[in-house]
Amino acid sequence: MAALPDSAESLAAALPPLMVRAERLASALTLGMHGRRKAGIGQSFWQFHHYRPGDAAAAIDWRQSAKSQHLYVREREWEAAQTVWLWRDGSPSMRFASGAESKLERASLLALALGVLLVRGGERIALYGEREAPANSRLAYRRIGYALGERAPADDAVPPEVPLPKNAQFVWFGDFLAPLEAIEHAIRRLTRANAGGRLVHIIDPAEEDFPYLGRTRFEAANGGETHTLGRAESVAGAYRTRFKAHAETVALLARKLGWNYTAHRTDRPPLAALVALYADLSGGHRMAG
Amino acid sequence: MNLFASLSFGAPWILLALIVLPAIWFLLRVTPPLPRRVVFPPLKLLFGLKDEEQTPAGTPWWLMLLRLVAAAAVILALASPQLGRTLELGGNGPVMLVVDNGWTAAAHWQARAGLLREAADLAARKNRAVMLLATADRPDSDLLDAGRTDRAVRALAPRPWLASRSAVLAALGKLHVSKPFEILWLSDGADDGNARALAATLAKLGHLRLFLNHAGLEPLALSGTANTVAGFETGMVRAGSAGARAGSLTVFGEQGQILASAPFRFEDGRNKTAARIALPLEMRNEAASIAVNGEDSAGAVELLDRGAPRRAVGLASGTSNEEPLLSGVYYLERALSPYADLKQGTISELLSRNVSVLILSDIGKIAGADHARVAKFVEDGGLLIRFAGEHTASGTDDLVPVALRAGGRYLGSALAWASPQHLAPFPESSPFGGLAIPPDVTVSRQILAEPSVELSAHSWARLADGTPMVTAAHRGKGWIVQFHVSAAPSWSTLPMSGLYVEMLRRLLTLSTGVDPGELAANATLPAVSVLDGFGRATPATAEAQPIRAGAIASIEPSRQHPPGLYGAPGAERALNAASSGTVLLPLRALGVKPEFYASREALPLQTPLLLLAALLLLGDFVISLILRGYAPNLKRLTGAAALLLVFHGGAARADDAFDMKAALDTRLAYVVTGVADVDAMSRAGLVGLGTALSERTSYVPLEPMGVHLESDDLSFFPLLYWPMDPREKDLSPVALSKIADYMRNGGTLLIDTRDLTLGATRGANNPGEATLRRLLGKLDLPPLAPVPPEHVLTKSFYLISSFPGRWEGGTLWAQALPQGDAPVRGGDGVSPVIIGGNDWAAAWAVDPRGHPLVDVSPGGPAQRELAIRFGINLVMYALTGNYKADQVYVPAILQRLGK
Repeated sequence: MAALPDSAESLAAALPPLMVRAERLASALTLGMHGRRKAGIGQSFWQFHHYRPGDAAAAIDWRQSAKSQHLYVREREWEAAQTVWLWRDGSPSMRFASGAESKLERASLLALALGVLLVRGGERIALYGEREAPANSRLAYRRIGYALGERAPADDAVPPEVPLPKNAQFVWFGDFLAPLEAIEHAIRRLTRANAGGRLVHIIDPAEEDFPYLGRTRFEAANGGETHTLGRAESVAGAYRTRFKAHAETVALLARKLGWNYTAHRTDRPPLAALVALYADLSGGHRMAG
Repeated sequence: MNLFASLSFGAPWILLALIVLPAIWFLLRVTPPLPRRVVFPPLKLLFGLKDEEQTPAGTPWWLMLLRLVAAAAVILALASPQLGRTLELGGNGPVMLVVDNGWTAAAHWQARAGLLREAADLAARKNRAVMLLATADRPDSDLLDAGRTDRAVRALAPRPWLASRSAVLAALGKLHVSKPFEILWLSDGADDGNARALAATLAKLGHLRLFLNHAGLEPLALSGTANTVAGFETGMVRAGSAGARAGSLTVFGEQGQILASAPFRFEDGRNKTAARIALPLEMRNEAASIAVNGEDSAGAVELLDRGAPRRAVGLASGTSNEEPLLSGVYYLERALSPYADLKQGTISELLSRNVSVLILSDIGKIAGADHARVAKFVEDGGLLIRFAGEHTASGTDDLVPVALRAGGRYLGSALAWASPQHLAPFPESSPFGGLAIPPDVTVSRQILAEPSVELSAHSWARLADGTPMVTAAHRGKGWIVQFHVSAAPSWSTLPMSGLYVEMLRRLLTLSTGVDPGELAANATLPAVSVLDGFGRATPATAEAQPIRAGAIASIEPSRQHPPGLYGAPGAERALNAASSGTVLLPLRALGVKPEFYASREALPLQTPLLLLAALLLLGDFVISLILRGYAPNLKRLTGAAALLLVFHGGAARADDAFDMKAALDTRLAYVVTGVADVDAMSRAGLVGLGTALSERTSYVPLEPMGVHLESDDLSFFPLLYWPMDPREKDLSPVALSKIADYMRNGGTLLIDTRDLTLGATRGANNPGEATLRRLLGKLDLPPLAPVPPEHVLTKSFYLISSFPGRWEGGTLWAQALPQGDAPVRGGDGVSPVIIGGNDWAAAWAVDPRGHPLVDVSPGGPAQRELAIRFGINLVMYALTGNYKADQVYVPAILQRLGK
């Protein structure tokens, strides 16, 4: 029988776990945010206004104009609706998990749940680096879920160099362990397209707390480099300071370029992070719109 | 303290290595433990961080102790410690080893040999000469050096005859002593009458030490077996009578199989006992030897005479309807039934049943055609035994060993002068030679032979007056034996005596092809197999000399006549190490304090210590793993092992994949015939049908599967397509019963004979139908009928009226529809088998691009479409069962509901 390669059904059937979790997470949030739906995110119709010289003739709504003496132009406010580009770091270090859930899983979950919320709120979303254009439909976040959950994630630690449309919002989920220069370069490139953005720093508790004791050999997530400590607890204090400094550097970098920074530990419930993130994004949108 | 006193080391200097133990302890202390390995993504942040302190050796003290103990165990083991007293030799003169090595010493030879080797080693180390005197061998009073001692000690083995201490005494008498000997006498614990003298002689030659078995291990022997009504009764003797001793006997057959076993028990204070072994007579005939369990000596084994194997013996009588106690057949039957398979009947019946011995009781003349048959039977090697009687007395035919006079003579009757005659001793050359003649056997009537020169040569038994009682003659390959008396006790008392049975048994042996001369008392019996000192049978050596048959009962086993089996193969006689006359006397006090063999062997501790070290190191390894945090992995490992164990049975089944694939989806299936082109066509046909089904119906079959009738499970498939081809192989019974189960449990077979190739001129012998008959002829097919026009097959999806495939026409057969009020049928009313010859697979077959593979005949897209419609109808029929049939009644039901 004929295969139906990209049908929505097969996509949906292919990724229950991540989809289900993300939708459940999102629905827990929408209960409290329901009113926001009317906050002004574009409908297909926004308002009519009188034709002014300079308006395109094709923009005239002839049906409306026929009802009266004036020419009306249908204002396409909805086109200004925010496009939110989601991107998740897929580097090997993201697969680290000291507890039950790896950073990668948490990042995917947050990205997708955010996508679900945004679509319900009327925004258009897309996964950065994918070929699909931003869309405002269930299909859009199902595609994203498929790309995040089912397909092998790309190993990039920073967003790939593909053109970003103007005036978009960019949400970057990652652990920001790549070299700071690379991160800064990527953010600068994205801001050149006039994108606002958020960095969501996913932190494993072991990375922040450094709970190791005794003689320990630390290995990089992608193999290769190792570092052996005779007494791990003796450097714990110094390490924590360093890690904090690193996180602050990333936050500073973001703020310097006009982006927001949020840290999220994988041992905390994802809902809290999602609330903050969504409030931040929709707030930013209102300011923009 | 005793324990340490008895501890000795083979290489004590290795113990010096114990001083390195503190060094090992120090090394273990300072070596840092292996680091735990963790994956840590923000590794770069760690670079440059200095850890001033190293983790000190966290090895717990008990782990350290464990390792030290393991190291100490290895060192101790290398020093080869031994636990146990070692022999010490006093004096400094030569060493004399007197060893009893008759079979009485065989039972616990290991202990003796160990002591012997120890003494020889000790003497070699002290450089003392050794004199080795073995009482069952020829005494050799030479002084031996270390090398020769070693060889002599190794060669020393127990002999299957009794030791002769007198020979040793004689040898010692000629000995000149310059230096007193250190004498070790390794005795067997039995006295042959010369023990005291030997002890006295040895005591004069030097310092004597006597070694004995512990109480309860004295030698014992089997002293003859009697054949009683219930079984064997085996006599047993032992040396000494102190304490009770119990054990068991086993009866072995000729192939070494165990026939029976029985316990025995010597009571305290008794040196004799008897063991009763209950055994049916037939099995007693198979018994070859009796042995005491766990007593490896020739005296504890009793060999039994080998008689003839069981023969088929035919009994025929000239008189009929006799009273049992007057009938010769009755006595013959009683005498022979333990040793032969007896058959009774007329001569021709018996010969047709292939008897090897034919006994005729009082048949004077063998009548008519039977005569020629009996003559041929004897010529071909049969044994004919004839008993005299009233009929014989009135004349015989020519199948007798010597010419017989008619009439016979009466002895001891009222009108006769002579009294009843006794039997003369059997001639030495007679096969009855050696049998004892009971004095009460008398003969009161006999038939007489015509006097002739050869008469005495033919006589195997005579009366006291010299007249023959048993004569025999060779005829062709066989023998004719004539008893000149009757088989019943009317003529003589012979049938009432045990001699009658023994004579008949000897005669049965003749039928195995044994020459009668072999059974005679003057025959010499060569050794066939002999026992060694441990009672194991070995092939006869050149040393074993033949024995006269008459002397075998009285001869004592010796070097020349070791115990064993003698005589012609098939009729061996047994010579046993111990006989009914054997008496074993215990060794009385000899004025020397005896020492004992037991627990003389030193216990080497090397292997246990090495094992201990290995175990400790293994434990250390496991503990280290756990300390480094591998415990979860261990858990997972044990879990995986348990899982492996649990699922081993399931995983071992290779066809699981097949079953899973077949069970998880409803698939079309075809029978793999083993003929490649047919199978490929079946597959392509079902692919094509599957495509049509997915396009037109809600049933979307996955790719079809081939099914091997012999190996695969059929129960997953609702429909099996089975093309018939003459090249198919016959089915095994397993496959046939699988097909029967399949049909009974609701499966549907579509059998395609593909015979319409030949057009309409079809006969009964078309290849496809012939194959069908060949393959399924043994199967219980339901009654078949041509598919009627109203059959569900014609309307289960499409309405069709014909069932074309590649060919058109023909008849489609299915299970006959029930007539009238037939009971509900199994399988939901679906016919378990549908048979036709239209080659449907070819019509359905498509190539991978979906184009038809084969042209249909007479042709046209319409015919292919009809073929596909039939296929769809068929699949629907197989899948839905009588649901579709019930649809027929829907209008009627609706009409009723409307009312």
